[in-house]
Amino acid sequence: MISQWPSWIWMIALPIVTSPFIYLLGRLFQRARDASELKQRLQGRAQRKPWRANPVRWVSLAVMLASCVPFVAAWRELADGASLQFTVGIVALKFDGISLLLSAAVLVLGVLVSIFSGPYIGHESGQEKYHALLNAMIGAMLGLGCAADLFNLWVWFETAAIASYMLVAYHSDRAASLEAGMKYLVQNSVGSMLVLIGIGLVFSQTGTLNLAQLRTAIAAGTGSRPLLLASGALFCVGFGVKIAMVPMHTWLPDAHSQAPSGISAMLSGVVIETGLVALLRALSVLADLSSAWGAILLAFGAVNMIVGNLLALRQTQVKRLLAFSSLTHVGYMLLGLGFAVSFGQLEGAQGGVFHLLTHAAMKGLAFLAAGSLLFALRVARGDSGPLEAADLAGAARRYPVTALALTVALLGLGGLPPLGGFMSKWQIFASGVRTGSPVAIALVVFAVLNSLLSLAYYAPLVSMMYRKAPSDVVTSGAAIPTGMTVPLVLLVLVVVALGVWPALANGLTVPAGQVVLSIFSRQGGM
Amino acid sequence: MSPGVTGIQVSWLLPLTVFVPWLGALVVLAAGRAGRLRTGLAIAFAAADAVLAVLLIPLASDRVGFSLTIGGVFGELSLQPDGFGVFLAAVAAVIGGLAVVFSVDYLRGEEGQGRYYALVLFFIGAMVGLVLSANLLMVVIFWEITALCSWALISFNNDDPKAVAGGIKALIVTGLGGVGLLAGSLAIYAQVGSFDIPTFMARANGFPPRLLAWIGFGFLAAAAAKSAQFPFQTWLPDAMEAPTPISALIHAATMVNAGVYLLARFSPVFSGVPGWSLSVLAVGAVSAFIAATMAAVANDLKRVLAWSTVSQLGFMVYAIGAGAVFQSQFHLLSHSVFKALLFLAAGAVIHSVGTRDMRSMGGLSRKMPLTCAVFIIGSLALAGIPPVNGFWSKEMILGAGLTRGPFWAYIIMLVTVGLTALYTLRCVWMVFFAPAEDRHVHEAGPAMKVALIPLAIGSLVTWLLAGPFQALLERTLPLHFPAAVADSGGLKGTWAIASEVLTAPSTWIALGVVALGAFLWTVRSPFKGIGARLRPVRRAAEAGYGFEAINRGIMRGVQGMGEGLRSTQSGLLNWNVAAIVMAVIAVLCAVWLVAGQGG
Repeated sequence: MISQWPSWIWMIALPIVTSPFIYLLGRLFQRARDASELKQRLQGRAQRKPWRANPVRWVSLAVMLASCVPFVAAWRELADGASLQFTVGIVALKFDGISLLLSAAVLVLGVLVSIFSGPYIGHESGQEKYHALLNAMIGAMLGLGCAADLFNLWVWFETAAIASYMLVAYHSDRAASLEAGMKYLVQNSVGSMLVLIGIGLVFSQTGTLNLAQLRTAIAAGTGSRPLLLASGALFCVGFGVKIAMVPMHTWLPDAHSQAPSGISAMLSGVVIETGLVALLRALSVLADLSSAWGAILLAFGAVNMIVGNLLALRQTQVKRLLAFSSLTHVGYMLLGLGFAVSFGQLEGAQGGVFHLLTHAAMKGLAFLAAGSLLFALRVARGDSGPLEAADLAGAARRYPVTALALTVALLGLGGLPPLGGFMSKWQIFASGVRTGSPVAIALVVFAVLNSLLSLAYYAPLVSMMYRKAPSDVVTSGAAIPTGMTVPLVLLVLVVVALGVWPALANGLTVPAGQVVLSIFSRQGGM
Repeated sequence: MSPGVTGIQVSWLLPLTVFVPWLGALVVLAAGRAGRLRTGLAIAFAAADAVLAVLLIPLASDRVGFSLTIGGVFGELSLQPDGFGVFLAAVAAVIGGLAVVFSVDYLRGEEGQGRYYALVLFFIGAMVGLVLSANLLMVVIFWEITALCSWALISFNNDDPKAVAGGIKALIVTGLGGVGLLAGSLAIYAQVGSFDIPTFMARANGFPPRLLAWIGFGFLAAAAAKSAQFPFQTWLPDAMEAPTPISALIHAATMVNAGVYLLARFSPVFSGVPGWSLSVLAVGAVSAFIAATMAAVANDLKRVLAWSTVSQLGFMVYAIGAGAVFQSQFHLLSHSVFKALLFLAAGAVIHSVGTRDMRSMGGLSRKMPLTCAVFIIGSLALAGIPPVNGFWSKEMILGAGLTRGPFWAYIIMLVTVGLTALYTLRCVWMVFFAPAEDRHVHEAGPAMKVALIPLAIGSLVTWLLAGPFQALLERTLPLHFPAAVADSGGLKGTWAIASEVLTAPSTWIALGVVALGAFLWTVRSPFKGIGARLRPVRRAAEAGYGFEAINRGIMRGVQGMGEGLRSTQSGLLNWNVAAIVMAVIAVLCAVWLVAGQGG
């Protein structure tokens, strides 16, 4: 039976299946080490040889790299034009352009975060939990990208969410981190309930949950229209909580800033975007019902951009600032996808998903670079305080590579060429203007102004790093381990490469854009 | 030379001219902390680019010389060596190169030189790319990169909050105008389906008139912001916090020229838009005048020069509005040379005296004879006194303005000419000749002299290029110069232009006004009473005529909004969940309402 599974299923299965074993392995190693140390101490002997670091980080990384192999195979198959579908029991899975793009973002960022996290939490005792949960979360997100029925979509999402709740509250001995985790849990559960009610409504009206069947049934006029519309509204708000659409965003700044930096990168870089993919999939079955969906995406996009910017403008904590800027960037993505849904703009869909990619790279880079500095300036000295903007003063002299990486990330997020963020925004803007609709053009101008406004908080951070007089924490800061710098360098290369030659991403964005457009194309005339 | 060979040469010279400085930037960064090697590399790359840019001039043509397709909405990287392009690329590379040489002495012993030289080279490359691009997306990209570089270089001294604020101001204000360029380019793309500039120029007649008007005024806003024209002029004086060679770079070689270039490039298309030419002309005239008044009351040496830049750029913009594109570009050439000279000479003074306040200078003519001499040459050009290059180009603009522009604008420009003479004389007197106590001052260093002397010679002679320059533009830009005279060119052309200038009545009127301005400053004591009565005007000029206040107001408003919004983020879980519930209600209502209308 298992031998009949297509190879890409292993991409999803590997991280999830191995997750408990990763935990077990790490735990056993930890216990053996503790026991040995205790024994030595009891016998009054000086420690002979310190134990080697917990191997759990390497196992976790190996699993993620192994997941990349079936992913590449699936990419090849998809490029040949094959439609990849698979059903195990009642769980229907389908690997299409959107799955491809999301998997690429999740896997690449996952691998880099895994490398980064090794040294970052290597000195802490609970690292086996961290790595096991990271793997579980990544597996669940990969599964979500491939979910072909509504309920499974929800289950995958909840799986990823549960893993992420615990990761946010990873430092369970800190009040702030627990508070953040608690808020994240409660508000996301509210969102989950709303989605679940929406799914229930859809099922009650149509009797099916398979996305493709649902689309056909609803296009044919099955079910009560007001109730189905209500389920669409519930999807928007329910998934909106997870995507951090304003005003459902209030959990995000705490969660993203309190989480360990690797997790912040994952949360901001791919987890909220996974919610966006889920929303698109769920809404697509209702595409024939109303023209309002695109408008809703555009409206939330506009609100997100301005609110995110204004809130980030007055922030002094680096990670909180980055967290708020995620609202703005979700806004850009919503704008591109809204152009696609409302006006059938292929460029808009491509731009939206391209921005998903570039944002994953840039925001991942920003959080990892900020995390490196946080590690060097505070964590390594046992200080659990936040990284303040003023702490960055003079960082460029002491940590030139890290500072350059953070600079590239911030300027890219601000949309300056020749970096990736400019290109993806450009594609979104171009699609908006191409619609020819005055509202769309006004939204584009609004977005450009927002992009400009965002420079008002990114640029001072960069200036701060390139000061000559270092802050006290920089003077007494620790060295940054090489393992934390390698992912930064790789991500810098990605951000620059996508800015110089945006067509590099076409292999991912074109199929994904086509899928977005096709699932929202109206089948029946209403 | 056969056309085939030219084609091949152009196709590699073009991308090299753009990307050699960028390569240099990477190499300089990679050179790490090796100080002398790094400086040498920076100079070598800047010099190489200057040579490449000059080599490009004889190869100018009206065809695209290099193209690389990226595809779809990202268009193609295509470069075109027409008259505007090769001329401005040469200005950027040569004057930029001299600024690099000058920096060797200016920055001696400073930290962060690797970052400095890398950014300067990046800046030069971006400017060269901007003027050579035949593709609107590339124009936008290079446009934004020049903004990025100007920000990073203005706030090079990041420890100084004023420098940081000045840099961000430049970034945001020019970016604000840049929205017009970006939106206009996208609108063109939506209409034409490509970013190709020649295609757009050829098909602009078919555009809906209102759309073309929007694009035209969008481009005007972008150009005004970049060239620090009214009402965006406020960023340029604050950019004076930059190291002085950077000021020279921004004012003479890169950045501010971009706006004038943009207007000149697209003027044939937009001149048909009702009100566009008049608006351009008015923007130029107003900028020229108010900047001159502000220069006349400023006491900071670099601010005087900054306002004079705004004023001189106003002349160029005014000329474009009057349809005198060649005259405006020729003044750009003169201005680049003499303004670079003035800034670098001012840099030598500031480096030596240690202050920018002209009130604490004075008496430097004997201690810095060379600097004084070259500064005076630059000042003569700025004031428009023959036979220095600024005289010829400014007179050409005034001549064209009198015959082709409205009379009221000509009067404004004429008053500005007088004011220019006045503030230039005031500046020279305060810095070099005013009585001052004795102190230790040293003459400019050797690398500084290497940069100053060619610029001084250039200020004296570049006007001789008028004929060949006109021929270059007319040969390669048929759209801008439909009625090209076939046999113009060479020194004969220069002679024709010079004699035309010398016989034009406007020249003599202007020279009279210059003399009047100079006279007013020289015998200023009898006019003290009038000066006192003008004090409110003076105070308004010193305060930037309220534009500073508007800037500050907008900034405070936005920050206030941010602060206000923050207070709504209570962090209380109950309120957070309440927001979610309210969002459900709102979205439900919206969806049902749309459905009720049959959506």
